[in-house]
Amino acid sequence: MAHGLDDVETEQAAPLSRRAADRILAFINNLMVKASSIALVAAGFVLTYSVIVRYFLKISTDWQDETSVFLIIGAVFLSSAAVQALRGHVAIETVVGLLPPRVNRLRQILVDIASLAFCAFFAWKSWTLLHEAWVDGYHSGSTWGPPLWIPYSLMTTGMTLLSIQIVFQIMDEFRRWTPAR
Amino acid sequence: MSLLSIGLLYGGATLFAMFLGIPIAFALGAVATLFMIIFMPSGSVDTVAQNVYEEMASITLLSIPLFILKGAAIGRSPAGRDLYGALHAWMHWIPGGLGIANVFACALFAAMAGSSPATCSAIGSAGIPEMRKRGYSPGFASGIIAAGGTLGILLPPSITMILYAVAAEQSLGRLFLAAIGPALLLVTLFAGYAMWKFQREFHAALAQYKLTGAESELLRVDTLTVYDKFALLPRVLPFVILLTGVMVALYGGYATPSETAGLGAVLALALIASIYSVWTPNELEPILISTLRESTMLMLIIGMSLLYSYVMSYLHISQSTAQWIVSLELSRWVLLAAILLMVVVLGFFLPPVSIILMTAPIILPPLKAAGFDLIWFGVIMTIIMEMGLIHPPVGLNIFVIKNIAPDIPLWDVVWGVMPFVGLMMLAVVVLCIFPEIATWFPDAIMGAK
Repeated sequence: MAHGLDDVETEQAAPLSRRAADRILAFINNLMVKASSIALVAAGFVLTYSVIVRYFLKISTDWQDETSVFLIIGAVFLSSAAVQALRGHVAIETVVGLLPPRVNRLRQILVDIASLAFCAFFAWKSWTLLHEAWVDGYHSGSTWGPPLWIPYSLMTTGMTLLSIQIVFQIMDEFRRWTPAR
Repeated sequence: MSLLSIGLLYGGATLFAMFLGIPIAFALGAVATLFMIIFMPSGSVDTVAQNVYEEMASITLLSIPLFILKGAAIGRSPAGRDLYGALHAWMHWIPGGLGIANVFACALFAAMAGSSPATCSAIGSAGIPEMRKRGYSPGFASGIIAAGGTLGILLPPSITMILYAVAAEQSLGRLFLAAIGPALLLVTLFAGYAMWKFQREFHAALAQYKLTGAESELLRVDTLTVYDKFALLPRVLPFVILLTGVMVALYGGYATPSETAGLGAVLALALIASIYSVWTPNELEPILISTLRESTMLMLIIGMSLLYSYVMSYLHISQSTAQWIVSLELSRWVLLAAILLMVVVLGFFLPPVSIILMTAPIILPPLKAAGFDLIWFGVIMTIIMEMGLIHPPVGLNIFVIKNIAPDIPLWDVVWGVMPFVGLMMLAVVVLCIFPEIATWFPDAIMGAK
């Protein structure tokens, strides 16, 4: 535990530009969490509406399921950077307790670099998918057939923000690592 | 490279990535993508994002965040305390009635909230202090809550069951119904044990009293008036109505499982707004944030687990492993025991969602070939994974209990929980001998398969 405190005490002050960038990212994450919260509740209302109109008004509906899928997919991807900021993506921590603190810090950097490699790759492939869907005008195969750039853009934005979040966390770890050398 | 080497490499790489401490979602995604790049045509690597999207864009899977929202709304309100108080008022005359009331409260709450840790913390935060005040040993009190909480992943709307239904391509409605009989069996076993253990602690306290004159809270007899009994009912009834309403909507054919999730979430929010006046954005924020945190973490694991099993199946790893298991020609029960043992071991490290999605393509074909009913197996597998929630090293519920009652030593909690692990094993054995406990109810309601 004392090491955590040491980190804070010996940490080099982040440059001004970086602190501004931190604040901007935190602001965006906060905004995304709010948007995701609204999307989630909206999905609940859309599905409730679907039950009501089908049962009471006998109107068959075709857009509710897909709308809620888009809303929830959006909520999940858009809030993933905010969850990463809190280190909320669960990992197996069995090894962590067994390693000396310095090795553990190195392990954390490796873990984040691996996570970044995957998330950045995924974000890149999402961008190309979004581009294709936009250019070629992909639509979903249902009778309603909404354009697919909508959910793809949510996924792309979310994965890009997640990658940026991990880059920031790696930079923080390196800064903590340097003075202790 | 031979299929065996690729398979071993895939498993090895996964273990390495996970034990290095890479978040489970990214570890699974990274290993799957790496193997796509190395062993699959380049075209398939380009579709990695599309693949994950298509696997995730299922309305059944996406009902999970809404079930979590419903659970969080109920969990953050004082509903748990009220529910438990009302049950206690009605059951206090039974020996060990307080413990039994806690088991029942856990079961009812779990059925409303669908989450194991949420149940533990909602019922436990009121139940554990009360049981300890009334002389129950700390281990016994925490065991009841930890074990009662596990009913959350068995009773509908269990997230684990939703995933199993998707992975095993079984009817979710049928699976939900199949869990009810076994859940009642577990409730009965837990309540029976609570009664027996109470009697033991009671007689020990009585002997002590006769010997030394030492008073014990266990010996005190409650007197509750009829007014006490009815005073709490109005607060609990709406939630019981919500629970039955959602069930009727689902099984009466008025709503699909995902619509039920939406309806349940909206109703739960409406109920906490009307009964506990929780409705301002500031009050709702913690509910929404905890929902998003849990759902995002879970849904990314689910999406990446699906990518992981897609790659495993594309490379024929899952099919070959399944065929290999079939070719061993193990007797049915040895096969079942071996598979359950594997689930137990995986439960030491992995959350139930990953266990289901990663192992389903491998273990379900041999089980089906051996003539096991996959709905029945879903229930058995869930009970086994419930055990993983209360035994070390992960034992999520144990840590929830440590949070609500930090002064109870971890060992007391672990020892208090162990008899319940034994009861769950007993339930699995009973279900193997009498599979009808699980299959009878769905057959009766939905007709035989």
